[in-house]
Amino acid sequence: MSLFNTNKDFDIIAKLIPSKSSVIDVGCGDGSLLHFLENKKQIHGRGLEIDQDKIRECLSKGISVIQGDADKDLSDYPDNSFDFSILTYTLQATKKPKEVLEELVRISNKAIISFPNFGYWKIRLHLMLNGTMPVSDQLSYSWYETPNLHFCTIYDFIDLCNTIDIKIEKKANLKNHLIENFKNKSWIDNFFAEDGIFLISKK
Amino acid sequence: MNENIIVELASKNNPLVLDCGKSLGPFKTAYTTYGTLNSDKSNAILVCHALTGDQYVASEHPITKKNGWWSLLIGSGKSIDTDKYFIICPNVIGGCMGSTGPNEVNPETGKEYGLSFPVITISDMVKAQKLLIDNLNITKLFSVVGGSMGGMLVLEWLSQFPDHIFSAIPIATTTSHSAQNIALNELARQAIMADPEWKSGNYNEFNTKPIKGLSVARMAAHISYLSEQSLHEKFGRNLQNKSKIEFSFDADFQVESYLRHQGFKFVDRFDANSYLYITRAMDYFDLGADHGGSLIKAFKDTKSHILCASFSSDWLYPTAENKLIVKTFNALSLNVSFVEIITDKGHDSFLLDEPEFFSTVEEFLDATYKKL
Repeated sequence: MSLFNTNKDFDIIAKLIPSKSSVIDVGCGDGSLLHFLENKKQIHGRGLEIDQDKIRECLSKGISVIQGDADKDLSDYPDNSFDFSILTYTLQATKKPKEVLEELVRISNKAIISFPNFGYWKIRLHLMLNGTMPVSDQLSYSWYETPNLHFCTIYDFIDLCNTIDIKIEKKANLKNHLIENFKNKSWIDNFFAEDGIFLISKK
Repeated sequence: MNENIIVELASKNNPLVLDCGKSLGPFKTAYTTYGTLNSDKSNAILVCHALTGDQYVASEHPITKKNGWWSLLIGSGKSIDTDKYFIICPNVIGGCMGSTGPNEVNPETGKEYGLSFPVITISDMVKAQKLLIDNLNITKLFSVVGGSMGGMLVLEWLSQFPDHIFSAIPIATTTSHSAQNIALNELARQAIMADPEWKSGNYNEFNTKPIKGLSVARMAAHISYLSEQSLHEKFGRNLQNKSKIEFSFDADFQVESYLRHQGFKFVDRFDANSYLYITRAMDYFDLGADHGGSLIKAFKDTKSHILCASFSSDWLYPTAENKLIVKTFNALSLNVSFVEIITDKGHDSFLLDEPEFFSTVEEFLDATYKKL
């Protein structure tokens, strides 16, 4: 379900995860991230993926993967099943992002969420100048065929977390690879960051 | 390939104690093997057959002369590659292809068991299989694979002998027979027992066979192996070698003719009493109930790498029941993978040419073998 076919966030995600953690990657695609983390951090990885071809690619990498859907199948996991859950560039494609986030912090101690930031200045500029939905390398679908249902800005994400008892512990910056403790909303992030990457947990 | 081998297991002094309280010993197990066991005995895969299967998994059946029932999946260069793995496929106890069952002679009486054969369970079958694996001096199987009842045997292996299997593939199966499953089996049993030629199970003494009853049983079961859509696509309302209905009870429709054919060809290779015993074992299967109502307890010592698979149009052991197995393994943080193959061919899919299913099994086994 990873819709951006990107591995640009692999290194920074690896920095957020201690060695030998148990990790579930929700929407794990072909298992590249889990495979990367297994090699780099000796994690115990599990995947959840909807696409059968990608599941076979996971299996060929020796990754345990379950065919399923972030919206429906997270309820099959007991509380605190994992040290970490990861949801990369998938939140915006879920039917119920709020419930998915709540499930992620239920089944794991901490969750890493990444998503395209719709507050990014280039997206704002595209909409202002062209008056059409933004299509770019990263947002590569036209509005009528996009699997993305719930785009949000970094502000929106933070607001949602505040309303549902989710604590944002850290924010990560893809450009300079900095990981900082999260304090307050920053208009700079919301304007200049192409992506939001956050480490969250249950309050 | 090794032709059918028959081995005697257990003994009078050290018998296999069955769930019903009775004992079997010595008893016979008939099995076939394919490929070569490697020097450290780490490449053995046990294949468990379904209700009407047998040990001829990848070689010609001696009665039907047809290819083995899983010869699409297992063989040289196939998904379960006999150039790489050593395959063992035994006929279950209670079966009728050479393993001890109701149509074999009771060594104590010198007479055929018939209905004096003890009622066996899936757990008993697995204990008997374990004795075969011990007899072959294999301490740890690389994998145990099976669909339908074969899948129940795989689950029972995971529960009973967790230290003796490195990986497992339970396919299109369940942890307990549903009311609908039991009802279908009861229909089959009643069809057999209603045939006057069944003679209270002693038909061989009278030199006869409940052919009609057994073939009706097979017809009913066969319907449950197919999906509504596959029946419709295969036959629709097409007539059998005629242009209009004949206002009779002959096989006007192709589907009738097909089912009758399936029924009658089955009786040549299968024993009616075996059918009663094996369906009973399936009905009694309830792994949760065997462990104080908890599937978690049933699998608490399991450590194997597991691949579960279901088929979207299977209504006999539907995806939801297979997902319950996955959920249990998840709750135990096991290395479990699961895939639902999209197909309209019903429960029978696991025996048919399903390339996606085959490659899933292949990828899983190959990657898991590297973890040994």
